[in-house]
Amino acid sequence: MSEIRLQIKDVSKHFGITRALKHVSFNINKGEIHALIGENGSGKSTLTNSLAGIYQKDGGTFILDGKEIHPINQVDANNEGISIIVQELGTLDGLTVAENIFLGHEDEFVKFGIKNTAAMNKRATELLKKYGFERIKAAEMIDNYNFEDRKLVEIVKATYFNPKILVIDETTTALSGEGREELYKHMKRIKEEGNTVIFISHDLPEVLRLSDTITVLRDGDYIDTVKSSDIDEDGLKKLMVGREVSGEYYRSDYGEPVSDEVVMRVRDVSVPGIISDISFDLHKGEILGFGGLSESGMHEIGKACFGASFDREGSVTLADGTKINNIPTAIAHSIAYTSKDRDNESLVMNQSIRDNICLPSLKKLSNKLHLLSDRKLKKFANTYAETMSTKMQSVDQFVSNLSGGNKQKVVLARWIGKDSDILVLDSPTRGIDVKVKQDIYHLMDKMRKDGKSFIMISEELMELIGMCDRIIIMKDGKINGELMRDKNMDENVLIEKMV
Amino acid sequence: MKATKEKTGKKLSAKTGGYLLLILMVVVSWGIFKIITPDNFGSPKNMLSYFEASLLAAVGAVGFYFVMVMGMFDFSIGANIMLSAIVGCVFATKFNLGYVGLVVGAIVTGALVGLINGSFYVKLRIPSMIVTTGLALIYESVANYIAGGVEQTLPSNLRAFGQMPGNLILAVIAFAIAYLLLNYTKIGTYTYAIGSNEFVAKNMGIKVNKYKILAFVISGAFLGVMAVLTISYGSSMVAVTGMASMSRNFVPTMGCFFGLAFKKYGMPIPAIIIGEFVINIIFFGFIALGAPTAIQDVITGFALLIIVMLTTKVAKGEIVK
Repeated sequence: MSEIRLQIKDVSKHFGITRALKHVSFNINKGEIHALIGENGSGKSTLTNSLAGIYQKDGGTFILDGKEIHPINQVDANNEGISIIVQELGTLDGLTVAENIFLGHEDEFVKFGIKNTAAMNKRATELLKKYGFERIKAAEMIDNYNFEDRKLVEIVKATYFNPKILVIDETTTALSGEGREELYKHMKRIKEEGNTVIFISHDLPEVLRLSDTITVLRDGDYIDTVKSSDIDEDGLKKLMVGREVSGEYYRSDYGEPVSDEVVMRVRDVSVPGIISDISFDLHKGEILGFGGLSESGMHEIGKACFGASFDREGSVTLADGTKINNIPTAIAHSIAYTSKDRDNESLVMNQSIRDNICLPSLKKLSNKLHLLSDRKLKKFANTYAETMSTKMQSVDQFVSNLSGGNKQKVVLARWIGKDSDILVLDSPTRGIDVKVKQDIYHLMDKMRKDGKSFIMISEELMELIGMCDRIIIMKDGKINGELMRDKNMDENVLIEKMV
Repeated sequence: MKATKEKTGKKLSAKTGGYLLLILMVVVSWGIFKIITPDNFGSPKNMLSYFEASLLAAVGAVGFYFVMVMGMFDFSIGANIMLSAIVGCVFATKFNLGYVGLVVGAIVTGALVGLINGSFYVKLRIPSMIVTTGLALIYESVANYIAGGVEQTLPSNLRAFGQMPGNLILAVIAFAIAYLLLNYTKIGTYTYAIGSNEFVAKNMGIKVNKYKILAFVISGAFLGVMAVLTISYGSSMVAVTGMASMSRNFVPTMGCFFGLAFKKYGMPIPAIIIGEFVINIIFFGFIALGAPTAIQDVITGFALLIIVMLTTKVAKGEIVK
């Protein structure tokens, strides 16, 4: 029998009146990759954030190698042998790569109060080289690197000191294939060294492939711990949701003709250094997918169609001849956009759910004197938050307190409330659990049948294959192929055109 | 996957680019006034005196930079300088402590004011702008009380820091300390970390409130040095009230803007020093022209906006607040 590394005993955590963790107890062994799964809002991140010192638990104990620990912040947790790679960005602007790697641990480079920057840079360079990230320069400002490279820096930061437990919280969705492979390699290394990885992911095939043991949480309750070899995807879904996830996951129709009516015409669109000469038509009731590697330029397509790209050349024209050159025009003409970077580009984090949902619809909600009624706003927000089954206390709750999936529901509720005709969704199911994904797919299917059109940008190939009438593959900023909906299409066809 | 920015050997380093930009600003501002008023502006001797005058505000600005880069503000700069100068002068003259009284008195007072600013801001959880505005009124009154409503004059035998080389030595020591703190201590790293994302910084074990207070203390101490230079240069200080000390806020704050604008080049302190020099060239240029004060202020204000606009280069789409 494996040796126990971490005992989680009776751990509880409240946020206001929300009980995020309810007396959770289970064990995690040495030398294993232990997945933690559950629907959005099930308490996975709350549990690991409490373990890593980001949150302070209300009750219960963490016992690491037989010793009770009470980390009060991440550095304290590091000192106990626990590190975490968080879901969103965890590096700081204004500091160099080396300063980010050693933030909170500068003391090893400080003598008589003076920091030995050269020694710190040298050590960081050695680490980056060891990890195979030589192209990231230790002395360079972190601001000069993109989201993915910064995630790679976080991997170094979280693992260079050989932690006893590494928590990876929904990080793989932020990484391209290459980045994921790097992360998997280090997870394997940590496991082989007899240490433990706690792995949070909504990608169930990835969870089954990588982990040894899986613990399921639901609504803050501990449900079960199972061996990966003893369960399949459907079994996990059942444990997560609490019942059989019945019905079709993706669309089931094939061969259905798409309307000839063009609702958006994109011609020769270029954004210097990102995309060039992109042309396509979006039809009424169509789901048009864009796939590719994360640096392929596909994410810029969404911004370009929404009038949010800077230095954009070419034209985006609607059926009535309206040119979309800026965001207000796009919104006024019933175009919606959800960004991949949900927290920074789609949500006003320190505002209520109500405000976030009502924001683009305020004109519609105001009276003749342009005054807004609190009751009317609440009713509107409630209607669409409930349409999306958002888990919340009330629409007055701050969006920042919601889980990733519920935040995404708020973003979608906003645009459904606006009754948008064209929805540009960039990574709509990023970091979202299986049940919410299914809800979103069903909603898209229903809206498509109602004549709404979608541009769906995604790094999840199965999602594109399952949902789209047509898939455009991007490579190096250009269109590298177009595929029509086909029952027999598999991922390899897309991958061939992507790389 | 590739780094968003690739460096090549042929490309100028960011720092060199920053220095060239600053030197260009000095040359352009000098050139404009030299063409308009060639006889009474811009001789090497004149330029040296403009530089000497710019040292005063530059010392205060490098300290204030610690506060601003963390995203806080201080409206009590002027009141701090006034109070520190008066206390230093009183220590030097009435207590017969000479230079030690002047320097130590002013720096300790400045740091103490910073400590009060920081503590009130952290403990009361009131925006720094509001806290320091309220406290500025109190500092003015305290200065007025200490001075007994009378102008405090520094005797000529205690004015070595008002002329070369005393002023330069004191300023260089101050700049070196600021540079050291910013680049070679944890304080500098944590200053930038807190300015970037306070929540993440807190999670990294950084005692955010402690470092915020420390930033105010450092800023206050440097303003204390500025007070020594100011009273030595001008020989006296009047304790004004009714927020009149706010007029002293402007020049150090402008220098600080230079520091923030050139932060991305990795050279905030040289940018503050040269930036203050540029401001003084413009200021003395107007004096040479005999332009009315109102016109001077209008053009100086525009010059500041143009300089910051040209140097800040906000990325497209970046939110500016």
